[in-house]
Amino acid sequence: MFRNQYDTDVTTWSPAGRLFQVEYAMEAVKQGSAAIGLRSKTHVVLACVNKANSELSSHQKKIFKVDDHIGVAIAGLTADGRVLSRYMRNECINYSYTYESPLPVGRLVVQLADKAQVCTQRSWKRPYGVGLLVGGLDESGAHLYYNCPSGNYFEYQAFAIGSRSQAAKTYLERKFENFMGSSREELIKDALIATRESLQGEKLRSSVCTVAVVGVGEPFHILDQETVQKLIDEFEIVREDEPPAEPQPPAEQDAPADQGTGADQGAAAASPDVAPMDI
Amino acid sequence: MASNSDLVSDTQRTLYPYVTGTSVVALKYKDGILMAADMGGSYGSTLRYKSIDRLKPIGKHSLLGASGEISDFQEILHYLDELILYDNMWDDGNSLGPKEVHNYLTQVMYNRRNKFNPLWNALVLGGVKNGQKYLGMVNMIGINFEDNHVATGLGNHLTRPILRDEWHENLTFEEGVKLLEKCMRVLLYRDRSAVNKIQISKITEEGATLFPPYSLKTYWEFTAFKNPTVGAEGSW
Repeated sequence: MFRNQYDTDVTTWSPAGRLFQVEYAMEAVKQGSAAIGLRSKTHVVLACVNKANSELSSHQKKIFKVDDHIGVAIAGLTADGRVLSRYMRNECINYSYTYESPLPVGRLVVQLADKAQVCTQRSWKRPYGVGLLVGGLDESGAHLYYNCPSGNYFEYQAFAIGSRSQAAKTYLERKFENFMGSSREELIKDALIATRESLQGEKLRSSVCTVAVVGVGEPFHILDQETVQKLIDEFEIVREDEPPAEPQPPAEQDAPADQGTGADQGAAAASPDVAPMDI
Repeated sequence: MASNSDLVSDTQRTLYPYVTGTSVVALKYKDGILMAADMGGSYGSTLRYKSIDRLKPIGKHSLLGASGEISDFQEILHYLDELILYDNMWDDGNSLGPKEVHNYLTQVMYNRRNKFNPLWNALVLGGVKNGQKYLGMVNMIGINFEDNHVATGLGNHLTRPILRDEWHENLTFEEGVKLLEKCMRVLLYRDRSAVNKIQISKITEEGATLFPPYSLKTYWEFTAFKNPTVGAEGSW
């Protein structure tokens, strides 16, 4: 996208009928690190790539519990995401207090979208620069929604947002038809594989990703590092038997980085030398 | 800081009720909830109005029965109307069930009580949603609870004991109606504000049904009724 004379204000239309500030906000989402969501009939899994700035710092929190039955993964301006999570938690808790019943996900998502829309129609505001993958349980089953800075929201079987999310999306597109019937474990495995796709050759370890689950009889919670690492190890071994199912990256790129031995941590660090996938 | 009760003059607050309905009795049965109330509206000790509908369906899943001040009941119906309207406007396949409506009413009643301006009612809220039966009660001071059978006013004293003895899980519709009639008959004999024109309504997964009002058969030839003061304390 190039700068033009209609992009200074969110309240200025372009002659082609576009609001550039809103589109620029959506760009911010694409620059954030990847977040992935998938759902079955009874469970929703959210996963995200969580890389710390340096070895000295902690990871940025990208997955938030909103209520026992709803959680959200964000990509983009994490500060905006934090503020919106607080709003969502507030809405859920107020509804619970009055009705002693969990807020239906579909309604929360509409309220969130309406809140985002307001920022696209006020000259003194700016759109939220964060995309939210909202996963939750309703009376009508498990749901996954994507909320856009534009104020749009969509329901998905599986989706990925953020940088290098296309690789994850390509993987999910191949597998999504079976998700409705997936078990909880299969769903988590697919989420981890999709996360690995977004890592683009870098080794998948529990220190670079976060996984959260919500399901029937299972309140939303983030899986701890140990559990995630165990799950990764489980299917990494299985993966050796899988046919080379990776979408585009050349085979040589994968071979040094993913053979699963500890020594290769060094090799993984070297993979930034290889050009990152063009999305 | 001036509170609402300071700003609102006495004539704007409910101090005592004027037109009141008497007990409501309700129980869970096999398919849902059965609720009964008479159609009387008393004006103090005068049995002034004889066709007041005290049982109303709320939304798709609930039934509300009210005793106490009738005008406050109408106000509550107005609030619930708005609540259900906004619920329907979401148009998203979700709907407020009896548990949600009961908790909403509890908040309303308790909040009014805190402002010293109560809605002078005792409400029974029953319903079925997704196979789950729910029956609850809330009164003017915000006391609320759920149970397999509930009653308001004198019903609490006269009919709950009968229900505790004779209610059981999975009553059929006929058994439930018979049990309710037994309760209403006792109230008719002993409650001075009762009138012999009762309405029974049921709510099941399919929806609410209000049956047309009818009268209970009564028997006044009991020997105990004939000379009620014979042998009473202080008599001769």
